[in-house]
Amino acid sequence: MSPHTPNYQSWNALILHRPHEIVDAVSRQLLHFGIRAQTSWPELPTDFDPMTVNIIFFDGDMGYDAQFPWPEAYAPVPMIALIGSEAPGRVAWAIKQSADAHLLKPIGSGGVYSAVMIATEAHKRRVALNTEMAQNQFRLAHRECLAKATAHLMVSRDMTENEAYQALRVMAMSAQMSIESMAARILEHSPDDLKFGAAKRNDRA
Amino acid sequence: MGQAKELVSIGILFSTEGPYASLGREGYHGALTAIAEINETSDYPFALVPEIRDPKGQTENYASMCRELVENGNSRFVVGCTTSWSRKEVIPVLEKTGGQLWYPCPYEGFETNEHVVYLGTCANQHIVPLLDYVLARHGPNPMLIGSNYIWGWEVNRIARELIEQSSGHVVGERFVPLGDVDIAHLIEEIRASRPDFVLNVLVGPSSLAFVRAYHELAKEDPSFSPARRPIVSCNWTEAEVRELGAAAIGHLTTAPYFQSLPSDDNANFLAKLARFAPAIRDVSAYFAQAYSAVHMIARGMAASGGSNPRSILEHAMDNLYRGPLGPLRIAENTQHAFLAPKIGMARAEGGFEIIDNPNILLAPDPYLARQKSEKAFFSSGKTGRAAPYIRVIK
Repeated sequence: MSPHTPNYQSWNALILHRPHEIVDAVSRQLLHFGIRAQTSWPELPTDFDPMTVNIIFFDGDMGYDAQFPWPEAYAPVPMIALIGSEAPGRVAWAIKQSADAHLLKPIGSGGVYSAVMIATEAHKRRVALNTEMAQNQFRLAHRECLAKATAHLMVSRDMTENEAYQALRVMAMSAQMSIESMAARILEHSPDDLKFGAAKRNDRA
Repeated sequence: MGQAKELVSIGILFSTEGPYASLGREGYHGALTAIAEINETSDYPFALVPEIRDPKGQTENYASMCRELVENGNSRFVVGCTTSWSRKEVIPVLEKTGGQLWYPCPYEGFETNEHVVYLGTCANQHIVPLLDYVLARHGPNPMLIGSNYIWGWEVNRIARELIEQSSGHVVGERFVPLGDVDIAHLIEEIRASRPDFVLNVLVGPSSLAFVRAYHELAKEDPSFSPARRPIVSCNWTEAEVRELGAAAIGHLTTAPYFQSLPSDDNANFLAKLARFAPAIRDVSAYFAQAYSAVHMIARGMAASGGSNPRSILEHAMDNLYRGPLGPLRIAENTQHAFLAPKIGMARAEGGFEIIDNPNILLAPDPYLARQKSEKAFFSSGKTGRAAPYIRVIK
């Protein structure tokens, strides 16, 4: 299957670099495929809005830690590092800013298009991974809650484990919430799971 | 006889003003001294004409001035640049025009550009041997200070890596804007944290201000005397030592050349210096490397009968040039010089006393690719200095 031709028409790029030939070279190349560039240095523009910027180019040489307001690895848009010095300290700094691709200075008449394509795809994967990780962490944190809610249903409605889990799932679906959230709600409304423990002991007795 | 010599332009691109002017002036005078010397002898069928541009410490001036020299002018060779930022600025111009930069300063490494010949030390020839010497004698827990640009950042980063490998601990790391002399806060931090030594990667006026302030601290508290807790550096010059006077005495630096070097090659050089630049009292590695660069270019041109940068470079790779540094040769794969770093201690009468001179040429290793496997290098002094990157000076 052949890949789709990307369409960057009406995208906005932000180039975070002091005025330099490099900025002109990147801007020129971006225009060839429909991306308009805005330049800023050393800080993000005061009206910076990640909803209106599609991609950021940033200077790997003179950039510094406080330049971006987001935590490491959570840049909201694809990030392309403009690298002059390949000293490991500088490259590591660019990685810390969640560089999704890079361009080596000097920049001539090529390279920007492929960097935009690679960065956009890498950013998509990064966001997907972050989202999946957050979901997994949420599930992990609620695993105990889910187990308790299932056990609660088994006892209070005399269900098998499978039946209790299915019931929980159906309840969550009809309430349009995650199964973990439904489990939390059940425990909230039936707070005496300790009583359930006691009942179990009574059963055995 | 009587036939006029061919005139060959050579670009000189140093900042003699601005935050690192003291280093730029060394390079500038070093290059011009060599040109004067070459033009006076009958050894060469040409005379060198220096085309001089002074970017005045402004990074944005370097590319345009280099273009003036190489593209619009007649210079195929440029001797110049001090900071890595300025070198990075001229590289695109060299790549477009086929020019060649002879870069005569120590730098942090991690570059091997085909259009640059690197005559200064890179990390395996400065910070690595310096720490090798100092860690064993003063302790493994230093404070790191540097000018806030790539030289300071990267040298301190490498230092931290080596110190941690030696089970040491960096008690603090601070950066000062290039040219800034407001360093009282550093002294207070050092007074409180009592490091074993201070690695000073400051440049120019910041470095001078720091050494003076540290001297005052040592007067108040003798436990900060240079013998106990020295300042150590990779980029101190003889001229700075003279300017600092008593404040400098006893502190350490590393370089592949010191004016006090007791060798025939250096004696020859100093005699020529007295003749061709009698006003210059103090010379450092920055001076000697720029001076050597011009001589190596001239020899290459004479030997190849032309000014093709590739031929000149190959000549410098295949032949030893005996100048102030002793035998000097360029490594084939990296275009950096083989250099023999020494440790110097600033002395009362100016300049440095050479307190450690293993007299071995270290092959340049700009990516520190050969260091990791040589752990012994850092742990037990000189014993780890083994092949394959050592050439003994004969």
